[in-house]
Amino acid sequence: MPRPTLKELMTGLQGTVVQTLLPELTSPYAQGQAMSLALMMVHAVDSIEKEPAYDAAEIKDLRTTIAMLRRLEKSHLKRGCGDLKKMLVSGAKAAARHDQREMEATVSAFVTALALGRLDDIAAKRVRAWVHRHLERQKAFLGSSIPG
Amino acid sequence: MDQARLTEYLRRKMPQADDLRVIGLKRISGGSSRESYAFDVEWNENGERRTRPMIGRRDPTGGLLKSERQREFRVIDAMNRAGLRVPEAIFLEIDPAVMDRPFFVMHRVVGGRTSNGAFPATEPDHLREKIAHQFLDELVHLQALDYKALGLGFLGEPQNLGEPARVQAAHWTEIYHRDRMGEHYALLDAAFAWLEANPVEADRITLVHGDFRSGNYLYDDNGMMAMLDWEMAHLGDPMEDLGWAAMRFWSREDIAAGLMEREAFYRLYEEKSGHPVDRKRLRFYQVLGDAKMAVICLTGIRDFVEGRTSDSVMPFLKVLLPALYGDIALQLELA
Repeated sequence: MPRPTLKELMTGLQGTVVQTLLPELTSPYAQGQAMSLALMMVHAVDSIEKEPAYDAAEIKDLRTTIAMLRRLEKSHLKRGCGDLKKMLVSGAKAAARHDQREMEATVSAFVTALALGRLDDIAAKRVRAWVHRHLERQKAFLGSSIPG
Repeated sequence: MDQARLTEYLRRKMPQADDLRVIGLKRISGGSSRESYAFDVEWNENGERRTRPMIGRRDPTGGLLKSERQREFRVIDAMNRAGLRVPEAIFLEIDPAVMDRPFFVMHRVVGGRTSNGAFPATEPDHLREKIAHQFLDELVHLQALDYKALGLGFLGEPQNLGEPARVQAAHWTEIYHRDRMGEHYALLDAAFAWLEANPVEADRITLVHGDFRSGNYLYDDNGMMAMLDWEMAHLGDPMEDLGWAAMRFWSREDIAAGLMEREAFYRLYEEKSGHPVDRKRLRFYQVLGDAKMAVICLTGIRDFVEGRTSDSVMPFLKVLLPALYGDIALQLELA
């Protein structure tokens, strides 16, 4: 394997920013930029390991959720939900061709329907469960930082 | 900003000043919608050597917000005249030939400190309590101003009490669709659909700061010194600023704005303003606030990705999004 690996490179460059570049900077603005660059490099190193697993888990859950919602379609989607039924058809096609963005559009339409009170209890429970898992995965991947 | 060009500009704007010099020009962080530069100006006038600390705020090449500097300058000027704690607006230059991009110059408040978000937990309780009162006094003062008499009608007076909520929701929905780069963010899609389906009516029209929160004022050991960042000011519903200020994102658990327990914060607002806190409107504006802040992050990320800014803070905004999505899910009972 050629060295340094991408992870080794990013970790090393983070040291270059903090130990070599930062002490030479006199402008507070430039110091702030260098610090946030170093922090982003920490995030980038972390992402190299976590991002593929995060994406894979998102795709798997989208596919499972769309399949589950299709099973509920006849008995649990109210009248006037033709738009959601169409979204499920396109979501199922997107799942077959591994189109993450289109699957996200389908599940997003159901989260919107949940917010607007258009789902019955069973469908709402399934969509809430997806939102919960989605948020938990995001927190595990990106943290839950607020400014402070 | 270039020191020689800035000096030349100020010499033209201050013809009474002899031997004018710009000292210590340096770019500073903060006020992310514009490039900010701190400097001192020294000059001779009537036989005296005078000094004044100033800030230059120049339009960015890209970043968090697209706002209009003439509008911001006029609002700051009006707030200064009205006696709010704001720095004096001094010069506005809209000719891009002078300094590559339009900019304005304002007085620099010296010796203050600020936070990124909630008022710091490390500050003493007596200061926190004093600033909580001053923060709400400023908000109530702002909301009580006669904006027409101050010449702020140009901000666009709503035609009816339902317009502020509709206009703000539509404005941020439009920016979301512009800057989401084709992605679907389920919680944002849901939030904007909910806002459209659940409009609220203001009880009155007031001036709204648009970013009234901890982290946007300077303070020292004696209390609040100046409210900053007026670029999102508009006319609208007074609950918008109160809701934004008390959002969990700018707070520490149940301590609204890091200043006071949330319910006590609302009661104090009611006492000071004489107006009740309408929970339905407050909820609307806090859902809007979370969605708006997420969209501001998406704008910064898009400008970074597409090369309009190289500010290294912009990609970092990504890590703020889960907290905002979590708040939307909580408020709309989606998880």
